[in-house]
Amino acid sequence: MSYSTELLKGTLKTIILKLLADNKKMYGYEMTQKVKELTFDKIQITEGALYPTLHALEADGLVTTETEWIGKRARKYYSLSPAGKAKTKEKVKELAGFIDTMISLLDIKPKMA
Amino acid sequence: MYCLSDQQIDLILTDIRSQGITTESLQNELLDHICILIERNLETDGDFRQYYSSAIKSFYRQELREIEEETSFLLTYHHHRVISRNQFFLLLSTVLIAPFIGYDLICTWMVSLSQYREWSMPEDGWSSTLVFALCPLLVLLVLFLTPDRFDPLIPQKSTILIGIKPLIKIIPTDVNLIGANPHSG
Repeated sequence: MSYSTELLKGTLKTIILKLLADNKKMYGYEMTQKVKELTFDKIQITEGALYPTLHALEADGLVTTETEWIGKRARKYYSLSPAGKAKTKEKVKELAGFIDTMISLLDIKPKMA
Repeated sequence: MYCLSDQQIDLILTDIRSQGITTESLQNELLDHICILIERNLETDGDFRQYYSSAIKSFYRQELREIEEETSFLLTYHHHRVISRNQFFLLLSTVLIAPFIGYDLICTWMVSLSQYREWSMPEDGWSSTLVFALCPLLVLLVLFLTPDRFDPLIPQKSTILIGIKPLIKIIPTDVNLIGANPHSG
């Protein structure tokens, strides 16, 4: 079972920034696979959402890019800029606060480990 | 693991371009993405064309150029702020009534000064000032009592962007995206 678009709305930038914070540099396909792996296929990032968002993050100066040629193909690696590192902390903190609020609002009891 | 030939890579790139992806960087990223998918999932003796045509369809809802359009949208409006319809009307009314309020304040200040300087405002001045001061109320009445009249211009489920170049952009659809862009899911 994968989560609905409605639930994921607004979290993609945070997911990408956190992935880059944890993995230094990544390319598009790698990001989609990492998210699938970490969430046991519950979150699947579509190419149609991923690449426009990556380009927007680049335009905002939050990520930097480098291109590596593999035969006839160019592979574009993304990594966090100093501004991106600060933004990641801010976005993760904001999302964590939101999750806490939702747990409280919906009266959800956290699962015991 | 399937090994793509240079001809097959060229074919994919040509197809991506023909489907409306014009940004070179985006072409390269989609090419690399689809090539990895094929190499990792297609059997050595698998049907390249069949796998490619089904894999590329998973990239979009209706057309591949949606990705190009969305990228272009985000790059054009990434400095714009998304506001709701109500916030837009509030902003609009503030901009419209601000000059009137300013005028009224200046008049009040002048009248209070006139008491000390033995000067009084002519009677015509009072009536025109009163009419001028009532205009903001009329603006507010039109904006807030009959908001439906603006539906053709600003539909109920529209997305309004405020920024620079353009100052105001009204998109007549609801933004329903994972990162504030209007098409993807």
